Amino acid sequence: MPCERKPMRYGHSEGHTDVCFDDEGKCIVTCGSDGDVRIWESLDDDDPKSINVGEKVYSVALKNGKLVTAVSNNTVQIHTFPEGDPDGILTRFTTNANHVTFNSSGSRVAAGSSDFIVKIVEVVDSSQQKTLRGHDAPVLSVALDPSDEFLASSSCDGSVSVWSIESQTQVAQWEILQKSSDVSNAKALCRLAWQPRSGKLLAVPVDLTVQLYDRKTWAHVSTLSDDLITQVVNVVVWSPCGKFLAAGTVGGNLLIWDVEAKLCIERQKHEKGFTVCGMAWHPSGGRIAYTDTEGCLGLLEGVSPSSPSSSSTIQSTKATAAKEKNDYDDLFDEDDDRMLDEGMSDTRSPVKKPILEDDDDDDDLMPATGRPRNRGSFLDDDDNSQDPGSVKLDGVPEEDGSSAILPVVGPAVSRPVYEGPMPTQPQRAFQPGSTPVHLMHRFMMWNSVGIVRGYNDDQDNAIDVEFHDTAIHHAMHLTNTLGHTMADLSQEAVMLACEGTDELASKIQCLHFSCWDTHKDWIVDLPKGEDVRALCLGQSWAAVATSALMVRLFSIGGVQKEIFSLPGAVVCMAGHGEQLLIVYHRGTGFDGGQALGLQLLQLGSKRRQVIHGEPLPLSQKSYLAWMGFTAEGTPCCIDSEGVVRLLNRTLGNTWTPVCNTRDSCKSKSDHYWVVGVHENPQQLRCIPCKGSRFPPTLPRPAVAVLPFNLPYCQTTTEKGQMEEQYWRSMLFHNHYGFLSSSGYEIDSEGQAQAEKEQQELLMKMFALSCKLEREFRCVELAEMMTHSVVTLAIRYASRSRRMALAQRLSELALEKANQFQEEELEEEEPAYQRGSRQMSSRQAQVENGCEEEEEEEEEDYPQEEQMDGEEATETRKPRPGLNPFKKRGKSPERPSPKPMSREGRVNPFKVSGAGKSSSPAGQPRTTNVLDSMTMSSRKPTPLGSTSKQSKAPVLKPLAPKPKSKTQATLLQMSVSKGNSKKLEDSQTEAEKVKPAPVATPPASVENIENRKPKTGFQLWLEENRKSILADNPDFEEVDVIKEGMGRFRTLSAEERLSWTERAKGESDPKKRKREDEEGKVNDQMESDEGSAKKKKPLDTSAKLSAFAFNKE
Amino acid sequence: MDPPEVEFLAEKELVKIIPNFSLDKIYLIGGDLGPFNPGLPVEVPVWLALNLKQRQKCRIVPPEWMDTDKLEEIREQERKLDTFTPIPSPYYMELTKLLLNHCADNIPKADEIRTLVKDIWDTRVAKLRLSADSFISRQEAHAQLDNLTLMEINTTRSFLLDSLNYMYKLRSNLQPGRSQDY
Repeated sequence: MPCERKPMRYGHSEGHTDVCFDDEGKCIVTCGSDGDVRIWESLDDDDPKSINVGEKVYSVALKNGKLVTAVSNNTVQIHTFPEGDPDGILTRFTTNANHVTFNSSGSRVAAGSSDFIVKIVEVVDSSQQKTLRGHDAPVLSVALDPSDEFLASSSCDGSVSVWSIESQTQVAQWEILQKSSDVSNAKALCRLAWQPRSGKLLAVPVDLTVQLYDRKTWAHVSTLSDDLITQVVNVVVWSPCGKFLAAGTVGGNLLIWDVEAKLCIERQKHEKGFTVCGMAWHPSGGRIAYTDTEGCLGLLEGVSPSSPSSSSTIQSTKATAAKEKNDYDDLFDEDDDRMLDEGMSDTRSPVKKPILEDDDDDDDLMPATGRPRNRGSFLDDDDNSQDPGSVKLDGVPEEDGSSAILPVVGPAVSRPVYEGPMPTQPQRAFQPGSTPVHLMHRFMMWNSVGIVRGYNDDQDNAIDVEFHDTAIHHAMHLTNTLGHTMADLSQEAVMLACEGTDELASKIQCLHFSCWDTHKDWIVDLPKGEDVRALCLGQSWAAVATSALMVRLFSIGGVQKEIFSLPGAVVCMAGHGEQLLIVYHRGTGFDGGQALGLQLLQLGSKRRQVIHGEPLPLSQKSYLAWMGFTAEGTPCCIDSEGVVRLLNRTLGNTWTPVCNTRDSCKSKSDHYWVVGVHENPQQLRCIPCKGSRFPPTLPRPAVAVLPFNLPYCQTTTEKGQMEEQYWRSMLFHNHYGFLSSSGYEIDSEGQAQAEKEQQELLMKMFALSCKLEREFRCVELAEMMTHSVVTLAIRYASRSRRMALAQRLSELALEKANQFQEEELEEEEPAYQRGSRQMSSRQAQVENGCEEEEEEEEEDYPQEEQMDGEEATETRKPRPGLNPFKKRGKSPERPSPKPMSREGRVNPFKVSGAGKSSSPAGQPRTTNVLDSMTMSSRKPTPLGSTSKQSKAPVLKPLAPKPKSKTQATLLQMSVSKGNSKKLEDSQTEAEKVKPAPVATPPASVENIENRKPKTGFQLWLEENRKSILADNPDFEEVDVIKEGMGRFRTLSAEERLSWTERAKGESDPKKRKREDEEGKVNDQMESDEGSAKKKKPLDTSAKLSAFAFNKE
Repeated sequence: MDPPEVEFLAEKELVKIIPNFSLDKIYLIGGDLGPFNPGLPVEVPVWLALNLKQRQKCRIVPPEWMDTDKLEEIREQERKLDTFTPIPSPYYMELTKLLLNHCADNIPKADEIRTLVKDIWDTRVAKLRLSADSFISRQEAHAQLDNLTLMEINTTRSFLLDSLNYMYKLRSNLQPGRSQDY
């Protein structure tokens, strides 16, 4: 037997519960220890009607519109159903009653109490009571025989008794239960049940079995048991047809037996194994509702008792026929009631079927199949007629629809005509951030600006507007005479709208409170027959989507602007700044899904459509629950499965899931109701709702903040975590790009910080992959890095002795640099001043590391001043890697004076340096000192290099730059390594090697190649520049150098060597000369010998710089 | 220590508020507070919460324990046991008083809470007096009392110490010989 166990949902607070169906089976009625009786339209009913009947409710029974409850104040009360108005007290005990039950006609109520007494009370006249005394302990359960002759009761004294109601005497008694002192100590609730209609059998749960006693002889007839039962049976209920018996156990097992065959036909287990303490069979037999001691409500669907073996049906034909006669009245009554229902044919499903079958199998088969078929086609027609038009959206909302239609259609359609995917009811239009319209007290809008609440009860029909930030406007209270159901709120205005009625047109009302004239509001009537479906406010505009598949734009002051048509019925709209987001039905969804389309429009000055009706991704079988913009203006959507998706503008406007709110929910029926999304800081603001999808207006719900969590693989590992973090950071900082591109001011500091964070993460991942020996992955990661971080990576690689990796990385770095340079060149105008170019290259060098410059200086200074300029450009060319740092120069954190002063040192003739006449004199000298020191000292530790920069007063310019420093250090590191090696041997040799850098250690290849060859090449280029220019007159500086490089390469080794020699010979004396000029330290510095002495100052400076560095 | 002093200490406790204004982080000697976003709960010390509340700048979210169910449970526990039960907040009395006096409108079932806390307080102080009584009557040298809050200690300290001093004096007077020394 196919039986579907629906997930449990929260019903009451923890504790004993009971459940029953109403007469028609339309509602499930539960009670719990929280003192409430709840009326559920269906299991998915998010808003059950609650009736508070007392402090604790022990048992509930419902018949003929009377709701009888056993309450902790020792009374048995009646309430009307479904209104829930108190209708008097039926009877009282000295302690609380444990179980109440109706007889089959609903005329009498039996109640068993903890004061050992059982009472039978006439519902109409509560003075007519019969009291049954005889139990020696609290009464656990009572059951009235369908023919009103007997009453069965079970008690903690271990006995199950049958009483004759008329004579109030015990007819039979079985000592079959375990004794206990109190209900709370009893092993089981021992709910008894008479077989419906005939009352032939009495089912008694005894220990692990259910025992059946015969009415005539009071003899034990049979025992129903199953291997699955490991704990005591708590509750038994008969199916309405009397053929099946369902039992719930303390261990959470749910079993159904075919009583005739003694066959267990259904075994289900409570999803958490909690004790089942209440069970009720749907009057039509297709479902069983059950509750547990944790207050949860569950449902077994499709318990259709139509599949028992045919033999048993035939066997019981006679008996049931007889039964039918007996209970004809009852049946008739019920049917009468049902006839009134429009869904009569639907509800007449499984239970009735067996009975009909008994009468005449053939007859029944025809209508059974015929009816559903008709119905099916009818439904199809319905859908067909609805969808193309899609005007009619006011069908049942999707979730209600599924539960209301499916259970009814499901069992009835025994042989479905159409087995393909079923179309889903299109979801209704809604305002994101509002609770359902049918509520009396509801949120009409909760967004980042404020809250609009709607009250629609007996006393009042009003709207409250409250602002989170009272600086925007004070709270407002409006009487809702027009019956507005939709609202939106922005910093400037409140917009309200109502649907039209027969007489009145649909209206839009706007309270433009930020208006500076005296008329703060305006009202617009829509054309007759056109209803507002959704509305939203943007910055100084408003948009309204109507049932005529149109979007109407208004200015905030009430001027009508563009109107345009939508391809489908609108679902919701959202506005932010100049962006308008519209979600509409793209088509019919199937199998629980929705087919939604999305348009994103840019209003304002540059009007365009950004997203042209692309499908909106939703989770399977879900519908859209919230749609809007983050505070930063990125579209974001949330579906009913709780998945939050953010538009990724950098990946072609795709949607990335960033969070699943259901992951944070404790229980299945809990939800988070989202009220806002922020990208910076990353916050998902939402309201936790226990047991529902949306919060009540009172008590005032508190906002909670959820973090985002991209569903990356293996986020338990460090790698996965960092990947998730990296991509989350990337995604959540996309808005900077968008904002700046649309001309907004952006928080550049935040952006820089984000970039830094991302690069840091990359570096961490790089280090991790390095550790794991995943070199290929390292390179992949490096590809995502900015150039500056690649140098860091190179350093890391070379340090951890991964030369192959370092080499690859340096190639990569070169490539990146080239790329950058190309871009840069494209940007640069040909007329760009050489000086400024120089400056920029200087800046780059500054950041890149001082040693390079310092080395360069050795070569720079000896040359003539004009040459200096040229040289700088040259340096740039072979060292394109340095340029990318120029980019960094744009960073606001960069102290501007520094590069200037640095430059002043490097290029004393520069205008910019003129002001610092004193510094150029001092600085170069010192740097030179340090230069030669590093070269000779072979102490290329990062410490040493930092020391140079941050050391003491002379070198001040570098000190205040923490950013560049780190980079400098890095590069320095690799550079100096190479340097020291070469310098060790002989400079000449080193230089010789450089042009053909194959032999050099990989880490330094790039740098060396960049730097050293200049000398020789430079000289050569000086001589050959003219010829190159003559050949290619249109060449620019860079091209000249390129060409020159090519030509220089073609020279033979000897030639090149000679050039290098020349360069060296030229530079050395000159350097000394310059030092002489500046002459302070030069005595010591004359040659390598001086190095020993120089070491000393270096050490101290190292300490100093280390100190300074740490301080930062 | 006076009750106002204890209350002053209690004002350092953190409480959640929902501001209706927006303000960046504020940096104080005692630590950073904020940032304040309208509509978003933030934790601030009680003194600031009350100040803001008085200026209608925020709504206060009552502490978790300030809930009738929880307090009832504590009250039952307190009544059942002879010893002092652990209390959810070391300043429960002061906080209740401060919050209920200044922002009863933000606290659901304020009156019930007031009664419950008063009940708990009464029970505890009665216990305290009782134990002090037995302590004195049995002439014990020391006693251990756990889970007492500062306010409770303060209510009894001055009285208990003074009376012990007097008792000591009286007792030493009782002893013949020594009493007439002076």
